[in-house]
Amino acid sequence: MNKKLEHQFVTELESNQNIVHKVCTLYTNDRDSHKDLFQEITIQLWKAYPKFRGESKFSTWMYRVALNTAITLYRKSKRRIKTQNYDSVIFKIKADEYNQEQEQQLTLMYKAVKQLGDIEKALVFLYLEDKDYREISETLGITEVNARVKMNRIKNKLRTIMNP
Amino acid sequence: MMDELELLKKDWQKKDEYLPKLSYDEIHNMIWEKSSSIVKWILIISILEITLPNLIYLSPSFREDELFENVSNFSSIFIAVNIFYYSIVALYIYQFYRRYKEISVLASAKNLMHQIIKTRKTVKHYIIFCLSMSLIFFAFFIFGVSISDEFLRDIMAGMGDNSKEIPLDKIRTTAIWVLSIGGILFTAVAGGIYFLLYGLLLRKLKKNYKELKQLEV
Repeated sequence: MNKKLEHQFVTELESNQNIVHKVCTLYTNDRDSHKDLFQEITIQLWKAYPKFRGESKFSTWMYRVALNTAITLYRKSKRRIKTQNYDSVIFKIKADEYNQEQEQQLTLMYKAVKQLGDIEKALVFLYLEDKDYREISETLGITEVNARVKMNRIKNKLRTIMNP
Repeated sequence: MMDELELLKKDWQKKDEYLPKLSYDEIHNMIWEKSSSIVKWILIISILEITLPNLIYLSPSFREDELFENVSNFSSIFIAVNIFYYSIVALYIYQFYRRYKEISVLASAKNLMHQIIKTRKTVKHYIIFCLSMSLIFFAFFIFGVSISDEFLRDIMAGMGDNSKEIPLDKIRTTAIWVLSIGGILFTAVAGGIYFLLYGLLLRKLKKNYKELKQLEV
């Protein structure tokens, strides 16, 4: 039974791993930390898996556990030596799809997002993943109105970071 | 800004091809790794905090100490204090366990933080209780030294021959001072280490919790 559960879990996580990688991309700055956080999220997901009984989609449930781990449970290892010239996924932009101005704008936007606080990043992440305000508010434990207010403040903050 | 965010959203959803891809086996290996979450750290530190003082107290060398035998005058008070102390410790362990079990990664971000803070508060109250007990313990000794010559002589017996020439009153005053300063210093250092440890461990969590709470105002 346990083996079956294990197989089921790993298969589902394997096909949905992009969600976790995206969270790691937002919350870490080098390859080792990315792997570290991915591992911690995987452990937390696996520990919580028996409680997940398919009431919601596997991916919906993953968002919550992944963000909770990144914001609250994960402790950065201070001993990490920052990988030099780590070209984060977040800054890889397909040049041929955009004009030069858009490309520059995107790079600036990603840079600004990286400078946000933990909670702000979570909101932006869910927004970028096309989640509605109801889901954002439920994931974070705030009201829908407050989620909108916060998102507006973040937009203003991003604007200030980009145009100092 | 709206347009820029929409542009960002469109690009974000095309990021998949750049993301790392872990194989089935790599993920499978990860599920058996050890967690290093702050909840686990709180559990480890708490277990140490609850067991260490009691281990020292229960260790045979400490119990057979002559000082304790000589406190027989106070034995009934001592037993009462012990019963009181251990029932409080048991109560704390029970409450800690209950709150620890309540922590769920499936809760909303705010609730999860709240659960962790609540669990930590239980440990904090326990530590305050232990530190008060240690102060009471020192006060108990000071009281013993100040009212009983025998008690004082027994302490001196353990200190060697040199002390015999010194007048009893002088030793009494010194002992009271040493015990007072020692007691306060011990409590301050133990408390300081504890609050520093938790302060560092939960700094990020507290900041994020405050940010979410502030939205409600």
